[in-house]
Amino acid sequence: MAIITISRGSYSKGKEVAEKVAARLGYACISREVLLDASDRFDIPEVKLLRAIHDAPSILDRFKHGRQIFIAYIRSALTQRVKKDNVVYHGLAGHLLLKGVPHVLKVRVIVDLADRIEAEMHRDGIGKEEARTLLIKDDQERRKWTQSLYGVDPWDSSLYDLVVHISKLTISDAVDFICQSSSKEQFKTTKAYQQKMDDLAIACQIKAALVDPFFDVAVTSEYGNVLLYTRLSDRQILKLKKRVEALGMDIKGINNLEIHAGVPSPPNAV
Amino acid sequence: MSIIIISSDSYKTGRQIAERVAKAMGYDYVDREILETVAEKHSTPEAKLMRALDEPPSFMGLSSRLRNQYLAYIQEATLAQLLEDNVVCHGLAAHMYVLGVSHALRVRVLSDPEDLARQMTSEKNIAPEKVKKLIKKQERQSKRWSTDAFHLNETDPANYDLIIGLSQIDPDEAVKTITDTVGYRKFKPMTYSIKCLQDKELASRVRVALLERFPDAKVLADGSTVVVETRALKREKRKRIEAIKGLAGEIKGVGYVEVHVINDIFRQAAESYR
Repeated sequence: MAIITISRGSYSKGKEVAEKVAARLGYACISREVLLDASDRFDIPEVKLLRAIHDAPSILDRFKHGRQIFIAYIRSALTQRVKKDNVVYHGLAGHLLLKGVPHVLKVRVIVDLADRIEAEMHRDGIGKEEARTLLIKDDQERRKWTQSLYGVDPWDSSLYDLVVHISKLTISDAVDFICQSSSKEQFKTTKAYQQKMDDLAIACQIKAALVDPFFDVAVTSEYGNVLLYTRLSDRQILKLKKRVEALGMDIKGINNLEIHAGVPSPPNAV
Repeated sequence: MSIIIISSDSYKTGRQIAERVAKAMGYDYVDREILETVAEKHSTPEAKLMRALDEPPSFMGLSSRLRNQYLAYIQEATLAQLLEDNVVCHGLAAHMYVLGVSHALRVRVLSDPEDLARQMTSEKNIAPEKVKKLIKKQERQSKRWSTDAFHLNETDPANYDLIIGLSQIDPDEAVKTITDTVGYRKFKPMTYSIKCLQDKELASRVRVALLERFPDAKVLADGSTVVVETRALKREKRKRIEAIKGLAGEIKGVGYVEVHVINDIFRQAAESYR
């Protein structure tokens, strides 16, 4: 009864670890499914969503907010999946997109660069230098992405509960560690934790519904009581109110919706 | 029959876990207590050895040369202890120089950020709002210290087999994970991994013997053969080789000494302008 996120670089054996953990615990194993859900629900091509969550933002992105919009869609799709519990997510940025959920076991799996190069050469039939360049570029993109959107370095071990280096330790050792840790009391889904997860899912759904064009609206939810924080002008707020009224009908689990204009949003807001 | 090396972002947390692991496994525990013996042996103040383990060189603090000298003393003493096997080592930077020894399990334990902040507030008697800044500063300092001294980033996860964050995982569980892991076959000593450690220990003894006269000397050992690399002017080459062979040859366990002298182009350039 837990949620496990497995963060990894490309060719870092994270997928194998995730699949084996899910199989042993009888959990659902998700990654690309989240992008497909978001693509279906918000009618955006999957490739655009993948770029938004993988490639480093360009200077233009900082003004267009397109990336924030796509990430809100992905986060909404992810929380909808994860709130059902018993899930292993090994897609991108799970530990950041599910920030604030207490019973998430955050794991990172790392592999030496030489082994990753060999795996890429073998799978894609390319030379050593090309494989090395591609992997380093990929790592840089991920680093820039996380730093620009969340201000943290994905290689910072303090973001995770467990970092397993697959070199002397094997995939099956990593699976053992993860399964052992996930069975502990602190990662079990209690009623209170499930409520927090449901609240995050509601907040993410509202954010996704409003983010285009109200990209700077921040949302919190507590037991279904939703607060929207904004710095919009009075005219814009009227438009926002109209949208919000319609939303109350569409999204399940909302008890009450309030707009707080001109108030700074709390750090846990979506 | 293994070695467990524990590193942490907080000395107190690391020590707490390391002691418990040693107790659970029935292993010897090696920590900064050995610095007293090191200080006596080399007639150096213990406080300075401690600083060499914590602070990067600075204008007001230790010079780069002194820091390297002190670290070499510590390295020699630590490796001698690790040779005895069945050891848990903490607080002596062993994770930075025991590389390539397959029966050494290297673990990093990260404190719960809130606990760390509380620890600092009480230990250093500072306001809670300043603690965050201090933690960031210490992180930067630790990165600088490790890259300066060992050309490795201490915070890089690739330097460890396992990293455990204590914000969600409790210390009992961390201890259990470490003791279970060290039981894996990969961490059992083999002839080759024991030889690797013996080579490192011999190299560290030779380095300490050469330190005073040749502080830049790099030493590698393979069995009883020792290879020393140093920089010198062409005209000093023969003398230097003889001196190094003389000093290193006296060390127990050294059979053959090979010296590689690299031309010191900077000194050569400086002397040509005189």
